[in-house]
Amino acid sequence: MKRFVPWILGAVLIFWAVSRMLPPKDAPGLDVNGFARLPVLVGGRVMPMDTLARLALAEMNHHGSYITAGKMAEQPTRGFLDIVMMPEHSDTAKLFEVSNQEILDLFGSQDAKGQFVSYSFNDLKPYFQEIEKQASLAGQTDPETRNPFQRGILKLRDSLRLYLQLKNTLQAEDSPDFGKEIEAFQMVIKPGMQAVRDRDAGKPFDNENFERIVLFTQRYQNLSQAKYAFAIPNPLSPEENDGWQHVSQALLGAIRHGEISFPVLAYGRMISAYRSGDIVGFNDAVREYNDYLSKTIPKKLDRPKIEFLFSHAQPFLQAMTLYVIALVFALFSWLLWPRTLGKTAIVLIVGAFIIHTVGLVVRMYLQGRPPVTNLYSSAIFVGWAAVMLCILLERFYRNGIGSVCGAVIGFVTLLIAHNLQLDGDTLEMLRAVLDTNGWLATHVVGEALGYSAMFLAGLIGIIYILRGLFTTSFDEGTSKSLGRMMYGVVCFATLCSLVATILGGIWADQSWGRFWGWDPKENGALLIVLWNAIILHARWGGYARERETALMTVFGNVVTSLSWFGVNMLGVGLHSYGFMDQAFGPLLAFIASQFAIIGLGCVPLKYWRGIKTRGRVSEPKIPVLT
Amino acid sequence: MTSKIVQWLKPFTSLKLTIFCLACAMVLVFLGTIDQVNIGVYEAENRYFKSFFLFFTLPRTEIRIPWFPGGYIVGSLLLVNLVAAHVARFRWSWKKIGIVLLHSGLILLLVGQLFADIFVDLESQVRLDQGETKNYSESFYFDELAVIDTSATDSDEVISIPGSRLAKGSKIELPLGGLRMVINDYYPNCVLISPSQLPQPDYPHLPIGPMAVAVQLEKTYKQNERNLPAAEFSIFEKDQLIGTWRLAAGFPRPISFQVGGKTYEAVLRPKRFYKPFAIKLVQFRHDRYAGTDIAKNFSSRIRLLDPSMHEDRESLIFMNNPLRYRGFTFYQAGFDNNDQTTVLQVAQNPSWLVPYISCALIVAGMLVQFGMHLVSFVKRRVIA
Repeated sequence: MKRFVPWILGAVLIFWAVSRMLPPKDAPGLDVNGFARLPVLVGGRVMPMDTLARLALAEMNHHGSYITAGKMAEQPTRGFLDIVMMPEHSDTAKLFEVSNQEILDLFGSQDAKGQFVSYSFNDLKPYFQEIEKQASLAGQTDPETRNPFQRGILKLRDSLRLYLQLKNTLQAEDSPDFGKEIEAFQMVIKPGMQAVRDRDAGKPFDNENFERIVLFTQRYQNLSQAKYAFAIPNPLSPEENDGWQHVSQALLGAIRHGEISFPVLAYGRMISAYRSGDIVGFNDAVREYNDYLSKTIPKKLDRPKIEFLFSHAQPFLQAMTLYVIALVFALFSWLLWPRTLGKTAIVLIVGAFIIHTVGLVVRMYLQGRPPVTNLYSSAIFVGWAAVMLCILLERFYRNGIGSVCGAVIGFVTLLIAHNLQLDGDTLEMLRAVLDTNGWLATHVVGEALGYSAMFLAGLIGIIYILRGLFTTSFDEGTSKSLGRMMYGVVCFATLCSLVATILGGIWADQSWGRFWGWDPKENGALLIVLWNAIILHARWGGYARERETALMTVFGNVVTSLSWFGVNMLGVGLHSYGFMDQAFGPLLAFIASQFAIIGLGCVPLKYWRGIKTRGRVSEPKIPVLT
Repeated sequence: MTSKIVQWLKPFTSLKLTIFCLACAMVLVFLGTIDQVNIGVYEAENRYFKSFFLFFTLPRTEIRIPWFPGGYIVGSLLLVNLVAAHVARFRWSWKKIGIVLLHSGLILLLVGQLFADIFVDLESQVRLDQGETKNYSESFYFDELAVIDTSATDSDEVISIPGSRLAKGSKIELPLGGLRMVINDYYPNCVLISPSQLPQPDYPHLPIGPMAVAVQLEKTYKQNERNLPAAEFSIFEKDQLIGTWRLAAGFPRPISFQVGGKTYEAVLRPKRFYKPFAIKLVQFRHDRYAGTDIAKNFSSRIRLLDPSMHEDRESLIFMNNPLRYRGFTFYQAGFDNNDQTTVLQVAQNPSWLVPYISCALIVAGMLVQFGMHLVSFVKRRVIA
């Protein structure tokens, strides 16, 4: 019976995690999910409305949600519907968040004290001029030298601009009933154009119709200044993203064709129904538009639909939760019931790893790319690869170290990814120079594998130091196997980093005409290779035994974190595609913690509890390579 | 005899020296990367990696104290160490083949890079407008004062004075019928402003034209920003003054003068590297992702004209696909002027193939070495 406990416990927890990933049920009432799945072109790619809603709200406030009357909408798209269809409602929603005291001073608010203060669009209206003025001043400084006030005011200005653009994505925000408006426009097009032609030909013309068509044209030309998201698909190009239009462009195009295209009319009907509270009308319009889409651009619908399910399921969040639970089990297994708890931890890690893998594969499908394309995806992949190595280690050594490491790295990397996600679209299109799947799949993936192995080796080093120093469970076998694990993982890290770095050199030679240019990211990769070479040669020379190797692998964490994130903060060089500065504090804290652990590891061996209890001080000698 | 060499090599074969060199290399790479924020990639490369020592200048003096070995010393020491260790300890065995392959790849890589460093031309750029043809590239970092003898009808004789020779007070003998140039003033970097913008009328400046004066600026090290020098010089024939002129690189209109019936022109411009062939821009394309400004692809369709090699053909240069011709590599670096101008980077690297070979050796070596480890590890596990 006891044999089955881990399996049952693990299965229950994994089942719980999977159950949270099931697709959202279509509740009776407004068909929010149907609207959330509709495709829209933003940033060069077709995404579901759901993703646009999530990205936009994440731009405005840190929890990425829509708040009315102090309550968060349970689904981003629910609030997003207000923004795009009934902006007079969303104008009063507390969407915009400010935490910088100096910015709050502009608004005369004194109640903040390091907290986020939320404002609605209407709250901020009196300060628009001041915000614009401060933001344009801030925009004149170099991005690297901006202070928190300047960064904050620019972000606020950008979110306000984005909000204005969104309000004018499907309609003109000041239209009392956009559905009716475009119907009226439809009636005017033909007589209006006739009047224009008559006037141009010098014939008598109908002045009323002429003025109407001019008025509408000007109105939609103004509207087109707000274009950001392109909601109207191009039925003539069912496979490419060319020719998607903003509503205003489609309406202006209608003057030429003499007729408003179906998608614009469908959105018009949705808006009219939504504004008058006609749930059935709204749902019918969504369904009919969906039917139209599956007839005209069927190939463009699969990815938005899967992306909608993917965003809802949040596989990386579920995997992260499972990794934490696994970590608790694995740590407790060192204290009591080692077999049962240890086995449960492994079951959980494998379950989390499978969810992690599914998430990774779905992302690759959505983007049509190898796994690593930006910092966010590098965090996901580094974690994935490290967990895989840990599962292999656990398979060979069966001492619980692999599962602790897997749980820690899986959790931490997914947490990092979760925070990086707030920076914008993680499935963004790639800049021209990166647009080579072959190199992305080899050089970039190789570097990421190297990072994984470096962190894994470093973590084993940390475990070596902490267990040796503080626990009594540090017998000779444990310390030997930890040493062997470190060595094996460092070898793997060397192989990956060196090969990937050289491949990077070849890529650079092909695209920039030089093999090596001392660019910060290249140098970061070189630092990792050099450090690995030092570790291996020190070991082969007999200068580094187990403890020294452990210390060196912990320093490897510092080198790797600098190479991974540090160089992006310099803001120079050809590789700084993922520039970010908010992570500077956490990075310094991480480096400081690693040095603290190295300091601990330098405590003379006679004070190590794990070795004292063994009754001998010297470490086993490694044969010196001659 | 062999043993004597081994004895002599002994101090250079130690693994400690290897580790010391690797550690020095790490320090160099780290410092050289951090300092790029202040002095840019190019200057950092010269100070840290393509140098013998790092120098520390004593405050308020010109005294430079070397305090750390530079890239050349560390690299050569590592090379000596590698070679010495392998010569001294070399004993043929299949077990060592991975290590030998790997390290010979490394030696090749180091030698190749050192060779490239010494012989490779400086990186330069070709800017071409639609339909334009050029047979030279221009340096991004250096300038030259060119004195051109335009009297011949079919060709010009160009005397180029590199920017490094242009310093206030320097005298340069020109190999043009006993002409001598004296530099009266030189600004390594300047900005051109209108005379009315001067803070006060006697603020130091060089009048460049009726509408512009040059005012000295600090040298810039920023990426994508170049220094624009300005100079005032006089030309003497024997000891007789011919004239005094002022030129600025931001204002590349030549001045001209006549001596002994010959017409000369002088211009301050980015240093030119002439090629034995010409390139013409047929078409530049810049594709963006739909509805955005994110570049999806840039490409230049160019025409290669080389009468001496009987070449006259079109070629397409785009990201990750450069044109290699007669030892030069042209790759798509940028664009300008509302997509009407293409910017091609030109590199000359006769040893570009070396890294490919050394990579193959290193990868093979590592796979063999770690593969043997892995196999024996798994075997032991299986037996255990």
